Amino acid sequence: MLAFWEMFEAVRGFMETGGQVLTLIAGLIFIMWIVILERIGFAFNGYKRVEKQIVSAWNKRDDHSSWEAHQIREAQVSRASIKLNQHIAFLGALVALCPLLGLLGTVTGMIEVFDVMAISGSGSARSMASGVSKATIPTMAGMVGALSGIFALTWLQRNAKRQVELLEDHLEVHR
Amino acid sequence: MLKSIAKSLVIASAFAASLQVNAEPVNLDELLKTLEQGKMFQSQENQRREAEFKAQRDQQVRLLNEARNERDNQIKLSEKLETQFEENEFKTADLQEALDKRMGSLKELFGVLQQVAGDAKNKFSTSLISAQYAGRDVVMDELAQKMGKSSKLASIEEIEQVWFALQREMTESGKVATFNAPVVLQSGDKVEKEVVRVGAFNLVADGKYLEYVTETGTLAELSRQPSERFLAGAANIQTGNGELVQFALDPTGGSILGLLVQAPDLKERVEQGGTVGYIILAVGLVGLLIALIRFVGLAVVGAKMHSQLKSDVAKDNNPLGRVMKVKDDNPDADVEALELKLSEAILREVPKLSRFLTFIKIISVVAPLMGLLGTVTGMINTFQAITLFGTGDPKLMAGGISQALVTTVLGLVVAIPTVLIYTVLNTRSKNLIYILQEQSAGIIAERSEKGA
Repeated sequence: MLAFWEMFEAVRGFMETGGQVLTLIAGLIFIMWIVILERIGFAFNGYKRVEKQIVSAWNKRDDHSSWEAHQIREAQVSRASIKLNQHIAFLGALVALCPLLGLLGTVTGMIEVFDVMAISGSGSARSMASGVSKATIPTMAGMVGALSGIFALTWLQRNAKRQVELLEDHLEVHR
Repeated sequence: MLKSIAKSLVIASAFAASLQVNAEPVNLDELLKTLEQGKMFQSQENQRREAEFKAQRDQQVRLLNEARNERDNQIKLSEKLETQFEENEFKTADLQEALDKRMGSLKELFGVLQQVAGDAKNKFSTSLISAQYAGRDVVMDELAQKMGKSSKLASIEEIEQVWFALQREMTESGKVATFNAPVVLQSGDKVEKEVVRVGAFNLVADGKYLEYVTETGTLAELSRQPSERFLAGAANIQTGNGELVQFALDPTGGSILGLLVQAPDLKERVEQGGTVGYIILAVGLVGLLIALIRFVGLAVVGAKMHSQLKSDVAKDNNPLGRVMKVKDDNPDADVEALELKLSEAILREVPKLSRFLTFIKIISVVAPLMGLLGTVTGMINTFQAITLFGTGDPKLMAGGISQALVTTVLGLVVAIPTVLIYTVLNTRSKNLIYILQEQSAGIIAERSEKGA
């Protein structure tokens, strides 16, 4: 319990030195990872059911060779592909936004530094320190967020592509 | 010849006669006599003058002697006074020494008193408590100056005054006091108001923070007040009677609140961005408007397409229905012709679904670029300021720097939501297009199989 409390204190101190933009980045990374976890869950669990359903419906058909059958097969593959690729583009946008938000934090932090300079002159480095930490911490957090997301994103994209190809193979066509 | 002599003589005698005697000279003898008489007269006159001059000379000599005597007397007096002065100097030195000896530790006391009075004067002149008790710094200043001159001694009353003033400053800094004072409002009017003083930290009137202008010793309403939640405490402390009140305190005694006036608010920040900043905001606004229109459009089309997916009758009000209608319109067409007709119908629908999306994408890319443009123009301004004024004063460069930074911020503020909006819209329109491109034929096939 004490260890948890200490951790909470450390996180709170970090968030306070990072400023408001860091809170935004934290929210963004939180949403990003919720979407990533949901996608991973779907890839390992939900999609299996969908695939089984599609394959069994296809196997139940007598007709596997007519024009209609081909179109129906293509439609099923497309539906599965849409399901697999759902939220992936959104995830890509979130990953791309992380460094942008970090940059926003940098610039707002610099504005604070220059505000301090305009009021108290360039003499006191200590009064500028708060602005400097607000400028640097969000950049770092944005980078960390983007890096953490990009691995998951790449895996999800490759997995979706592979699953679609596998599905196409499972839906056999007889001539 | 003789005639001419006689003539001139006559003229001369006539002159002489006219000057001295009225008697007319009738002959040369007479003339001679007259001349003699005149000469005698003249010498008499000269003698008289001589005597007069002599008398005057004696007079001058006497005066000179008198002046010399006077001078000698004065020299004697001065010598006497000088010796007396020297004697007196010795005496005063002795007396001073005696005074110093007798004052002893008292002299140190007066030195301390002077120092304390000077310090207290500086403290009182900036203290908020002076708003309630005016004129304390003047009294302290007078006392310090008086102590500086050794000719005057402080009376016990004056010494006690310092003690009392310091004690009062200490006591009052621990009190929340209410008093009436004239306050200069933001409009410039001077109004008598009930002012609450919180220790030596803050002054509040009518729920607003006041500043104490030390130069004039007047109270003025701060032209920019802190945010609403702090003002509530300021209002409560005035109306509250005795109970505990939450109050936002400025521990620096007003200097943080004073800096608050200098810190720009959101509107001023945006204004610092200049023309480039406004252009970025305008572009962002256009992007948002287009995104809103596309959101509504895609939501309507998507809802209609999904209801079309559930129904068997092809409707004319949505892209999928229109594509499916191709089959109904050409019941006799063979597979190849039908496929061509379908793809033609789909091609007609796709641009309507992805309309304006590229524009939003362009805005999301252009906004940070425009921010960069603003950054560079701001830096140009900064360097111009440096060439004109040098790097000595950072305040002169602040305008250009804040323009540079604010435009970057505005560019990012526009770009970040635009990127998100574009992705969401693009995913939606792409899903609809997938349904048209890859599934329309399948949907038609499923429908015909079901019907068969």
